Amino acid sequence: MGDAGWDDATLVARAGDGDAHAFERLVVRYQRSMYRLALRMLGDAGDAEDVVQEVFLAAWRGLPELRTDAAFVGWLYRMTTNRCLNALRARRPTTELQPDSARSRRVDVQPERATEISSELAALTTALDGLTASQRACWLLREAHGRSYEEIAAILGTSSTAVRGRIARARAQLAEAMQPWR
Amino acid sequence: MAVNDITDGYALPCGRGLENLWARLQAGDWLVNQDEHERNCPHCQAAGGSLRMLNEATRQLADEPVAPRPALTDRIMSAVRAEARRGEMVPLPTRGGPIGVSEQAIAVVLRFAADGVPGVRARRCTVRTRSVDKQGSGVIDVELSLALRYGVGPAEQILAEVRARVAAAAAVVVGIRVDRCDLRLEDLYP
Repeated sequence: MGDAGWDDATLVARAGDGDAHAFERLVVRYQRSMYRLALRMLGDAGDAEDVVQEVFLAAWRGLPELRTDAAFVGWLYRMTTNRCLNALRARRPTTELQPDSARSRRVDVQPERATEISSELAALTTALDGLTASQRACWLLREAHGRSYEEIAAILGTSSTAVRGRIARARAQLAEAMQPWR
Repeated sequence: MAVNDITDGYALPCGRGLENLWARLQAGDWLVNQDEHERNCPHCQAAGGSLRMLNEATRQLADEPVAPRPALTDRIMSAVRAEARRGEMVPLPTRGGPIGVSEQAIAVVLRFAADGVPGVRARRCTVRTRSVDKQGSGVIDVELSLALRYGVGPAEQILAEVRARVAAAAAVVVGIRVDRCDLRLEDLYP
């Protein structure tokens, strides 16, 4: 396996067969996307890494049963999203439908990077706190990860109409929150 | 231009819809193609400004150079290797006495042999012990799925080559005989 450009389907098939090297290629290829999602969902770098580790371990265990090798990335997104939603529920068991302003926000940023974060991005990450967990999941999957409405609906076990509605609502709320920084 | 608004209930106080404005902003239409109302409406102008900022911030968020610590890959892989699936043992007599070789370990050798044929990528490889011969050595059945590089040549010839290499690797590297070798051509890659 000298070539880094191996297709996902081959790597997934081999990993499902117990080939740990093939699985490691998949980890290297997708851990950053899953981490970015978890980081913005949870607002905490350590919690985000824990979720990513759990997701890949669950993937390793579940791979032999994965029906189509092409479904792998969607499956990772689904596991990551659901674990983040569970983690948020566990933090505040009684206020699931409330906006997430109470979640901890400890995103570790390299000091040299801190100054490069624009005021727009800072405003957006703060505004994301004001969304509900499921709105934030929908919005991030669509706008930061480029997933389709249908995929997001499958990930969250809802309809694509509901997903469109949540994203529209999230966008209206985020746009409103952006205003003071104009 | 046609204004076909309020499909989602997110209407501005002037009655125009936010989603329509967003779609036009994404299409690059908003800045160059505003109608009379939009040019003069404070709600539309303010919403346009906010959405442009949101658009810019979203782009930055999508490109944000955040990554997990490099140690995360190792953490994941040591947890994974701790639960490596080894499969059943295939008996193999040696001069020092009989040993067992895991089906998983044999599969690694056979996939590697198949990968050695140009234009071939081995995918799933299942090894099962079929019987044990008179010397006490396991005889195996192999199922191997493959992807071929598009246009690499006649599949029949390539599959024959794969079959030969798999049998040779089993014999030379492991010291075991392949009885049945089922190959499944599963996919083509560019």
